[in-house]
Amino acid sequence: MSDIVPDSLKILVAGGFGAGKTTLVAALSEVESLHTEELMTNESVGVDSLDGVENKATTTVALDFGRLTLDERTVVYMFGTPGQPRFSFMWEELAEGALGAVVLADTRRLVDSFEVIDFFERRSVPFIVAVNCFDGYRSHDPADVRIALDLDSDLPVMLCDARERESVKEVMVELVSHVLQLELSGQ
Amino acid sequence: MVEDKETASDTRGRLIRPYFLTRGRTRPSRTDFAMTSQVVATPQPEPVELGPEYQSILQKCAGPVSVAEISSHTHLPLGVLRVLLADLLDQGRIVVYESMWQRERPDTGTLSTILDRLRAL
Repeated sequence: MSDIVPDSLKILVAGGFGAGKTTLVAALSEVESLHTEELMTNESVGVDSLDGVENKATTTVALDFGRLTLDERTVVYMFGTPGQPRFSFMWEELAEGALGAVVLADTRRLVDSFEVIDFFERRSVPFIVAVNCFDGYRSHDPADVRIALDLDSDLPVMLCDARERESVKEVMVELVSHVLQLELSGQ
Repeated sequence: MVEDKETASDTRGRLIRPYFLTRGRTRPSRTDFAMTSQVVATPQPEPVELGPEYQSILQKCAGPVSVAEISSHTHLPLGVLRVLLADLLDQGRIVVYESMWQRERPDTGTLSTILDRLRAL
């Protein structure tokens, strides 16, 4: 193994249940099925109760992630970030030092994206919105999504197919371009 | 389509409670184990008797590997892993490297390089 210790970068892929986070991360990751888990304590369950949680000693939240080696000094980790507010106890740690985030929107459940977008805005985590068109028949219009999510006109909203590597690559290029633009404009 | 696995699940197949491994400690002696920090085992002059979880962690980080990946490979939950990593760090058996970008966003030069590399994939 190489003795060079790479600097790692973190990109978050946030979205509600079934939005396709795991698929998107897997499409670009160079290694298969990495996942870690965090134990959910009673305090972190908060007000959003989980069915049956009271019967369990510990509850775990699985986090899927992927790795992308850009060069011997730079590795990008993409973390699938559960978008539901009940998992928000993990958002702080995931957000720290994050290069940026992709909010993977599901047009059937746009409301799922509200809380995590709100969080990224408050924490100044740069993000773009990608609408996953995996279902193939539903009509998706980025302009409608922008209005529904009340997004600024300069915030990129794009369509993607989370199963396709090239499509996911375009999403990541868009995100990093957006972050670069923000840095160049001093925001 | 790969299913999202974020639904809270029970600890299937786990025969002992996770924090048994840490002797009940839920906080590491240090807190500098970001998920993307890289861990490398230090060469040990002679074999030592360590618990199987410690051995397993050390085997995974013969070369630089992230905390998140160690968690994935050892199936240890992050919270538990961090306590065990802190023990190994205290004993001088591992070195931890925090990413230059753990606390701040990359500069524009680095972002441009990342962009070029991504496009070239």
